[in-house]
Amino acid sequence: MSEALLTWVVFLPLASVVGLALLHGSLVAFGLSRGLPDVLWRWLALAATVVTFGMSVALAAGYDATDTAFQFVAHRPWLPRWGIHYFVGLDGVGLAMLLLTTFLVPLVLIGSWTGYSRRKGYLMHVLVLETGALGAFASLNLFQFYVFFEALLVPMVFLIGVFGGPLRVRAAIKFFLFTLAGSVLFLVALLVLAVLQQQQFGGVNFDLVAVSGIPLPPILETRVPTVQAPWWQQQTWLFAACALAFAVKIPLVPLHTWLPDAHVEAPTGGSVLLAGVLLKLGAFGFVRVALPLFPVAAQQFAPVLAVVALVGILYGALLAMVQSDLKKLVAYTSISHLGFVVLGLFALNVEGLQGGILQMVNHGLSTGALFLLVGMIAERRDTREIAAFGGVAKPMPVFALFLVLITMSSIGVPMLNGFVGEFLVLLGAFERSAAVGAAATVGVVLAAIVMLSMLRRVLFGPVENPENRGLIDLDRRERAVLVAFVIPIVWIGVHPATLLRRVEPSILELLRVMDVRARASAAESEASASESSGSEAPEADGSSATVPGAAGQRARWLAAATAPAGRPEPAR
Amino acid sequence: MIPAPVLELRAVLPLGVLALGAIAVLVLDLVMLDRSRLFGRSVTRAFVGTLLSLTSAVFLIVVLVLGVQNLVHGSTAVFNVANPLVQLDPLANFGVLLVAGGTLLVCLMSVAYLAELDINHGEYYALLLLSASGMVLLVSATDLLSLFLGLEVTAIPAYVLAGFDRGRRRGNEAALKYFLLGSFASAILLYGMALLYGATGATTLEAIRQAEVASSPLALAGMGLVLVGFAFKVSSVPFHQWVPDVYEGAPASVGGFFATTVKAAAFVALLRLLAVALGEGASWVAPMLAVLAALSMIVGNTMALIQQNPKRLLGYAAIGHAGYLLLGFVAATPEAYAAVLFYLTAYLFMTLGAFAVLVALANRGHDLERIGDLAGLAKKRPALAGALTLFAISLAGIPPTAGFLAKFQLFAAVVGAGHVGLVILAVGTSVLSAFYYLRLPVLMVMREPEGPPPRLHLASGEWLVVGVCALAVVTLGLLPNGLGVDSPSLLPPALDWSRDAITALLASR
Repeated sequence: MSEALLTWVVFLPLASVVGLALLHGSLVAFGLSRGLPDVLWRWLALAATVVTFGMSVALAAGYDATDTAFQFVAHRPWLPRWGIHYFVGLDGVGLAMLLLTTFLVPLVLIGSWTGYSRRKGYLMHVLVLETGALGAFASLNLFQFYVFFEALLVPMVFLIGVFGGPLRVRAAIKFFLFTLAGSVLFLVALLVLAVLQQQQFGGVNFDLVAVSGIPLPPILETRVPTVQAPWWQQQTWLFAACALAFAVKIPLVPLHTWLPDAHVEAPTGGSVLLAGVLLKLGAFGFVRVALPLFPVAAQQFAPVLAVVALVGILYGALLAMVQSDLKKLVAYTSISHLGFVVLGLFALNVEGLQGGILQMVNHGLSTGALFLLVGMIAERRDTREIAAFGGVAKPMPVFALFLVLITMSSIGVPMLNGFVGEFLVLLGAFERSAAVGAAATVGVVLAAIVMLSMLRRVLFGPVENPENRGLIDLDRRERAVLVAFVIPIVWIGVHPATLLRRVEPSILELLRVMDVRARASAAESEASASESSGSEAPEADGSSATVPGAAGQRARWLAAATAPAGRPEPAR
Repeated sequence: MIPAPVLELRAVLPLGVLALGAIAVLVLDLVMLDRSRLFGRSVTRAFVGTLLSLTSAVFLIVVLVLGVQNLVHGSTAVFNVANPLVQLDPLANFGVLLVAGGTLLVCLMSVAYLAELDINHGEYYALLLLSASGMVLLVSATDLLSLFLGLEVTAIPAYVLAGFDRGRRRGNEAALKYFLLGSFASAILLYGMALLYGATGATTLEAIRQAEVASSPLALAGMGLVLVGFAFKVSSVPFHQWVPDVYEGAPASVGGFFATTVKAAAFVALLRLLAVALGEGASWVAPMLAVLAALSMIVGNTMALIQQNPKRLLGYAAIGHAGYLLLGFVAATPEAYAAVLFYLTAYLFMTLGAFAVLVALANRGHDLERIGDLAGLAKKRPALAGALTLFAISLAGIPPTAGFLAKFQLFAAVVGAGHVGLVILAVGTSVLSAFYYLRLPVLMVMREPEGPPPRLHLASGEWLVVGVCALAVVTLGLLPNGLGVDSPSLLPPALDWSRDAITALLASR
């Protein structure tokens, strides 16, 4: 049962879209009616996402936090000759992202219940996007990960380009080209990895973890040379290619220029999904792919990425300060927050990684809620100019309450979620380098200045603009959505262990794997350095790149393959 | 006394069926139009067109079934063992499937289209079948003579088809251009073959390999000229000048025929030529092909960016795809050759699908001449717009479509052969291509409709072709090897077939 449950969670949104479309199409084709009424579309789509969320809660309840292995694993051959399998499973990190995604999507649908949720195309794209994101978060096969990672671009482009603002087409194309350009180099890195594995083991297996019954080691066991190989086979370049793909998605400065455009033009729901789900894929890609595969290069690049993240934190906050458009302001603080995420990840210690992952969830919740709030007020006034508001707290006290609360969560006030995440990230950063940590702390202060002055300008002071007097406060639907956001925000702030307890073992395991593999690479490069100290530089021919020790490893795997096959048992 | 040669007719059965089909269609057309009656009833021209299309379809389906049977059994038939001109091996059968499948789809989507353009003449189907029979000869030729014969039998009906819309000047220009440049290329090819024969004393590909081309400058020059001729046929830069003009001037259905079927046959023939006649000792050819591939990818994809005519855009896109396909020949490993075959299959469905949508959009006797006319199509014809979006996504190589898997397989093989620089160039130009492919859905979905409304009624043939292509693009992207891994498969295992074809080819030489 547990084996199929994760697959159900991933594919239920897509299946319901296909089912609804078929039902609609057959109703039209047989002339029974003019198709499924829009109301029914809306409710059925919502029901599907709520069921998906319910099932992912069931997954979380069934998750064994003491087990470091991947859980709810399902493994089926897809294109076995190329080592491509349908392979899903969850660790703590994947679980956190899965929960965040399934939590956000129903809220997005309810949030635009009277707006775009009335349109079939909107519902279809949101649900297809959900399957794409969930598939990427649950993938344990590198090829499958790439397929989901790329495929969800398409619904997002349509969400922005069809349902967005006046410059939506330009924003959609920019978003598409940036992310595509980043990810094709990831594809090349993937192919080079396959070639390396072919050389070392005589076959390709894109699985990230071992499964009994598969004669080849997972791609994670491939030795990626650090020296003594053509440049394109070296960790540095492969890591750089992956990092570029993920950095565009996150996005890191200076690859961020698509983000403000996309956020400003996207409809509210699209913005929530973009911030809450899509941007997470980049950071998740680092955790799932780039760190374990290229540990040596990750260590080398860590200072660079930490500095880039730092620049993003400060630059994002500074740019947010001068924005006159509310949504743009939130978009730039988003860049700042994701800088914290990357800073945490590339502290490469337990605290930093925990903080980074927690911050991913936090950003999804608080920025998602902020975008919804901005959408709610923009809907009422048809403008997002900060200057057009002022004193909104008087006509809309409930709105003001929520905006203050979410802002507090976003700038990291204790007892709310943001504090725990930022604290852990800073702890991890200080452990690596006090200077970086200190500079990042400035970013915290800047973010507070930005957000608090935004609050002052929008909510407080006298009501100068007469149009603001007649503003109607949030209705029951809007309140319900925001309450749903506030619950996890407070929960994580008060009791972060609920999440961290499940994430920590996976992080320790990740660090252990990185350490083991980095040591092996170091030993190898030492051995090959002493071996070839008298000889020429490495040959350009790829076949000479077989690393010493690969033959032994291959024999070990062949022995393992002949062992009796049973239920797939993942072990990293 | 000369002993009578032992002929195996099985080897030329597909060829014979298609040639017979061409004649049957011609005769049928003549009989019916002459009398305007069939079994005592008067017939309209539209009815005749439908009947001829279905007749051609029957012949093509027979050939398809033959090809599938041969592929399943993995059989090889040599026409004349003493003088092997034609050999129906798995590679040839794969080529036959591509040719017959592509031609079948073109036949089916043409019925209403020809009527719309008011060029509903029966010769159309006869010319298609005749050209297809040339292509079958081309993919199964193991001798320079039959190779050249195949190329010419393919090309001459194609010249006529390019100008099939006689009343239009663009069409005449396309036909003339195609004919002049095509004959020129054929002459170069023939000269190269003559040099090869002079240097090696043989015309069979097998014998040419044994004579070791690289050892003689004359043979090298001959091979170089043959490759130039083929570069023209597969529309590679710098021999690509005719492509955009011909695709633009020819009717859309004929453009689809050129872009997919004719090109697939030429690539299969090139594959056999390079793999058999050159063998392993052909390191000198790789840099030359690499230059052609790189130029095609860059020029094709860059020029496509600025096109306003959809057929012209697809023409430049086809040049870019020829560049990707040539990468496989640079790598020249069995995996790369198999990847080329799979790419051709995927490319056939997605390009033909795109052309079929253009065919379905032809209105008031004219093809869609401006990309801008696609604006707002999603509102007026959502299914058609959705299909074109799918084909565009697949052509750009975005998962989970056939185009992505084909590119993945091809690039993996090329990286495996060590040509990383070329693959980086290829993925870079893919991003460039995504820009112009994305314009189509952007226009259809995100812009408001303008200009005259599209045709209201789509013919069933057009629906069928668009549907089949869309289904194939998704299926080849998700389940390229059919259903079930070891069990008998419900869908054709395209991947296995492409691999088996190459294995058999390399084992036989």
